[in-house]
Amino acid sequence: MSRRLTRPADVGEIDLLGAGMEELTGIASAFGLSLKEAEVVKGYFVGLGRNPTDVELHAISQLWSEHCRHKTFRGIVMDEDGKGIVDDILSSYIARATEKIGAPWVVSFLEDDAGVVRFVDGYGVAVKVETHNHPSAIDPFGGAATGIGGVIRDVLAVWADPIALVDVLCFGPPDIHQEIGEFLHPRRIARGVVDGIGYYGNNVGIPTVAGAVCFDEGYVGNVVVYAGCLGLLPLDRYARNPRSGDALVLIGNRTGRDGMGGASFASSSLSGKVEELRPAVQIPDPIEEEKLLRFVSKVRDEGLASAITDLGGGGLAVAAAEIAGRASSGCFLDLDAVHVREEMKPWEILVSESQERMLLAAPSGNLDRVMDLAEEEELEASRIGSLTGTGIFEASHEEATVMGISVEFLLHPPKSVKVARRRRVREFDLGMPEPTSVEGALLELLSSPNVSSRESLIRTYDFEVRGNTAVKPLEEPFGGPNDAAVIKPLDERREGIVISVGLKPRYSRISPYWMAASSIEESLRNNVAVGGRRMAILDNFVWGSPEDPDNMWSLVEAARACHDLAMAFGTPFISGKDSLYNESPLGPVLPTLLITAVGLIPDVEKSVTVSLKNKGDSIYVLGTTRKELGGSEYYALRGAGWGHVPKVKPDESKAVMDCLTAAIDDGIVMAAHDVSDGGLGVALAEMVLSSGLGMEVSLRSVPGDLVKRDDYLLFSESNGRFIVEVEMGSEGRFEEIADEKGCTYARMGRVRGDRLQVEGYDGRTIIDLGHEELRDAWRREQW
Amino acid sequence: MAPRSQGYKLKIEVWLKEGLVDAEGKTLEEALVDLGFPIESAKAGRVYEIILNVESREEAGEEAERMCDKLLANPVKDRCVVDIIE
Amino acid sequence: MVRVAVLRVPGTNCDRETARAIEEAGAEAFVLHVGQLERGEEDLMNYHGLVIPGGFSYGDRIRAGAVLAARLGSKLDEQIEEFAASNRPILGICNGFQVLVELGLLPGFEGCRAALAPNESAHFECRWVWLKKTGSCDLAIGPPLQAMPIAHSEGRLVFSSPSCLEKAGSAGLIVYRYAKPDGSSADGEYPYNPNGSQGDVAALCNPSRMIMGIMPHPERAIYNWQTPLRLRPPAGLGIFRALISAAERSL
Repeated sequence: MSRRLTRPADVGEIDLLGAGMEELTGIASAFGLSLKEAEVVKGYFVGLGRNPTDVELHAISQLWSEHCRHKTFRGIVMDEDGKGIVDDILSSYIARATEKIGAPWVVSFLEDDAGVVRFVDGYGVAVKVETHNHPSAIDPFGGAATGIGGVIRDVLAVWADPIALVDVLCFGPPDIHQEIGEFLHPRRIARGVVDGIGYYGNNVGIPTVAGAVCFDEGYVGNVVVYAGCLGLLPLDRYARNPRSGDALVLIGNRTGRDGMGGASFASSSLSGKVEELRPAVQIPDPIEEEKLLRFVSKVRDEGLASAITDLGGGGLAVAAAEIAGRASSGCFLDLDAVHVREEMKPWEILVSESQERMLLAAPSGNLDRVMDLAEEEELEASRIGSLTGTGIFEASHEEATVMGISVEFLLHPPKSVKVARRRRVREFDLGMPEPTSVEGALLELLSSPNVSSRESLIRTYDFEVRGNTAVKPLEEPFGGPNDAAVIKPLDERREGIVISVGLKPRYSRISPYWMAASSIEESLRNNVAVGGRRMAILDNFVWGSPEDPDNMWSLVEAARACHDLAMAFGTPFISGKDSLYNESPLGPVLPTLLITAVGLIPDVEKSVTVSLKNKGDSIYVLGTTRKELGGSEYYALRGAGWGHVPKVKPDESKAVMDCLTAAIDDGIVMAAHDVSDGGLGVALAEMVLSSGLGMEVSLRSVPGDLVKRDDYLLFSESNGRFIVEVEMGSEGRFEEIADEKGCTYARMGRVRGDRLQVEGYDGRTIIDLGHEELRDAWRREQW
Repeated sequence: MAPRSQGYKLKIEVWLKEGLVDAEGKTLEEALVDLGFPIESAKAGRVYEIILNVESREEAGEEAERMCDKLLANPVKDRCVVDIIE
Repeated sequence: MVRVAVLRVPGTNCDRETARAIEEAGAEAFVLHVGQLERGEEDLMNYHGLVIPGGFSYGDRIRAGAVLAARLGSKLDEQIEEFAASNRPILGICNGFQVLVELGLLPGFEGCRAALAPNESAHFECRWVWLKKTGSCDLAIGPPLQAMPIAHSEGRLVFSSPSCLEKAGSAGLIVYRYAKPDGSSADGEYPYNPNGSQGDVAALCNPSRMIMGIMPHPERAIYNWQTPLRLRPPAGLGIFRALISAAERSL
């Protein structure tokens, strides 16, 4: 077909056909394509016998962006000698684990906007976690807020009612003084991000129930903002059968020039020049989103639509192509029918990233009702086109065709090839002089930014709205840190959804494999601590440029760990996302993998929290404490970059988790806490300061192979451990369960008095601290 | 004799840049229309009053601009209007 | 059966759990969009009680509650007046309290006005607080000391003059005040008084005792599982039971 497209005045033509190598390089860089990709695009238009319009090239640029197509995760990785390491990380490691596990509770994984697991009869839980790093770096408030907005729409896009939010944030050290150039100070970023999350979540009325905050120098130039959302959906209303002939309806905010080109922006490195990036800013409007929530659930309940998707990165271009792709059909868009806020060029309308918009496909017979529902919620809606049987993505403007490209072509960029440089992990521990006061070291750890209380931040989020939060992120009334949150989403059922996270980025300096493994294990441990089981997990990679072979190697290592550990624990991956090219003049981001775990608890009233409950109860430690201080908070505080990073021994961990789950179901566990940052010392202290009670415990019985050092015993971060409060009189029963499960354990002492008293390996009292001292240290705000 | 520093009173307004969604302005507009006012359009911004000890009016203006950059406004989406009201 | 209307507009987001709490307390709850009342599809007088729930109506833009109050005041003022005049109870929770104050229905006595100003902490705050019953209202029954969660950024009640606070206190219109866990007065001390409210006021009733505004969220303290262990038993149901008893009179 050699038809030239008629071209209105505000549509440009790009001379691709006549482009030599130099021009092609220029075009490639202008549209964020690699030269290889530009050649493929040129080949496509040579086949059509015409040049592309600017509308078409902008659409390709967005659809082929790293952000939208995960080219690195879908591509080929080779070593420096050109030997293949892996073809398609996503399929080979992550999806493969899920397939091999074959968990019957997985409904949909790694294909839709959000993953879906079965909840109770007829209901599913949808989960999605996204990153919004670059936008948060230039506009912390708006960037974080729109991150929340976007991930809520991902959950709406599988027809789920959003029920809970999760946010995980990584900032530069709050006390940094060094010159940080044009970058905003970590404190200013942190304040803006936290305000933005609270603003959006509170206004839209979804509780923010779980998360984490970490501080490290590796985030000074590259802030990391993860936003997650969970939703509940009736599985029989999960409509995803768009057909040719269905009308396409755009609902929500008017389209404007904000957030132009966000998807390709998200995949390019930050230059340190903030001013230049102005157009990519997106403005959040949570009230518009709240109307969308109401609208989507009504359309779902009435069964009016055949498909829905959100408008995120790449705007309308990506949303329409994906719906058309799902229908194995084409689509036709009338760009002049889009409700806009200002005068815009056709390509701008197609790729604008204005927030709070969704695209719906509906049989035309249902269109009137859809429009009525939009009006009831005071939402604007436009019929902007339809699905067609042509397989072509067509768009028109002023009655001329300004785009006509195969949907298949748009959705399948050429495979990328990346190089990884193998690195041997060498672990050694030069040790640390023994502190004169272990007590002092504990207080220091409690007040370190990575351990200290998040209360002042969490309380700016409404974690109770909707009245379904059974275990809150804070243990009231003292604000202690619960390991996971529990949501009870259905009035008529007792079951709850358990939400937890795992994040161990500092370990990646020593071993990206064990960093990923530890993150997975920690997420599961946190879930089990409150009573969760039957879990599914999500991966969110935040990495530097994959063009750097060192980054690529650590990425492959982490992905390999994802496969191995998911298999070992039988926990399928249901969704994931990668954010690459997190680079700044200060270097790449610290490789960071967030694991989010979603579990089930059969009865929310049996949930377990962190605070000590009754005098006289016994305190047990489960799991083995090893000399694993590499990347630990204790070593980091003293500036030690060495040490053995905590490993994961799945069989041991599973026995420990099974034991705790069985004991919780038996009703003899009064409190439980996962042992992580800051080790046993911090875990014990947190249990005490979360309650009005104290405990008397000894380190002598702690299982492990440590040299006789109280500080190592207290602050090692070995995985697979819990502190458990067992009801007085049920110790025999508890030990029976532990033996039966093959769990390593020891009784450390009991709940007593109102102080934390710890006896060292040699029988001396090494810690004796009251609530005030513990809380003062823990609440010393450093950020 | 060196000039002495003195207090300058600044009024700094912060507005969203043109073309960005001004949700508050839009809500304000609709509410005023509901109340029966003949509204053409409405915009929302913030205003700060700051007293600053500097040596000259010129310096006050420069400092105000720095305050905008460093804290009051995000240059990415906001614009500042500085008024030195003495 | 008692029928209670729960109003919503864009940004109202506590309507579902509020309706659930009303049903738990023994009445029928109906969530109505203000647009339905404006278009005449619904008539307020078909309901025996009215609740303006919590949330962020219109995103708390301009001032919390101000825009919804403007919408109600300009388009539904007659309906609401008729409703109140027929001695049917009106309960405003959190954002709803802010709306009632903006509408001038609270404090509701001569020569006094009130406002819910930004928290002294200058930010949003979500936490469980202790409330002490220090007044009487037809919309409040329950124990003298109880715990409920708050979640707001504008909850500091200020009166137009100090004499108003006194007047409200002596008339027994200050239904709940923030308190310490032992029942003693919070006396403005954070976090027991979480927002700096004058006289530790957490809930206020009008002189007819049929209109109440409360900053804490009783609908979030209905079930055991919602209520942290140390703050049980949940106390929120009492408020809704009282509302229903008051509404029954116009059955």
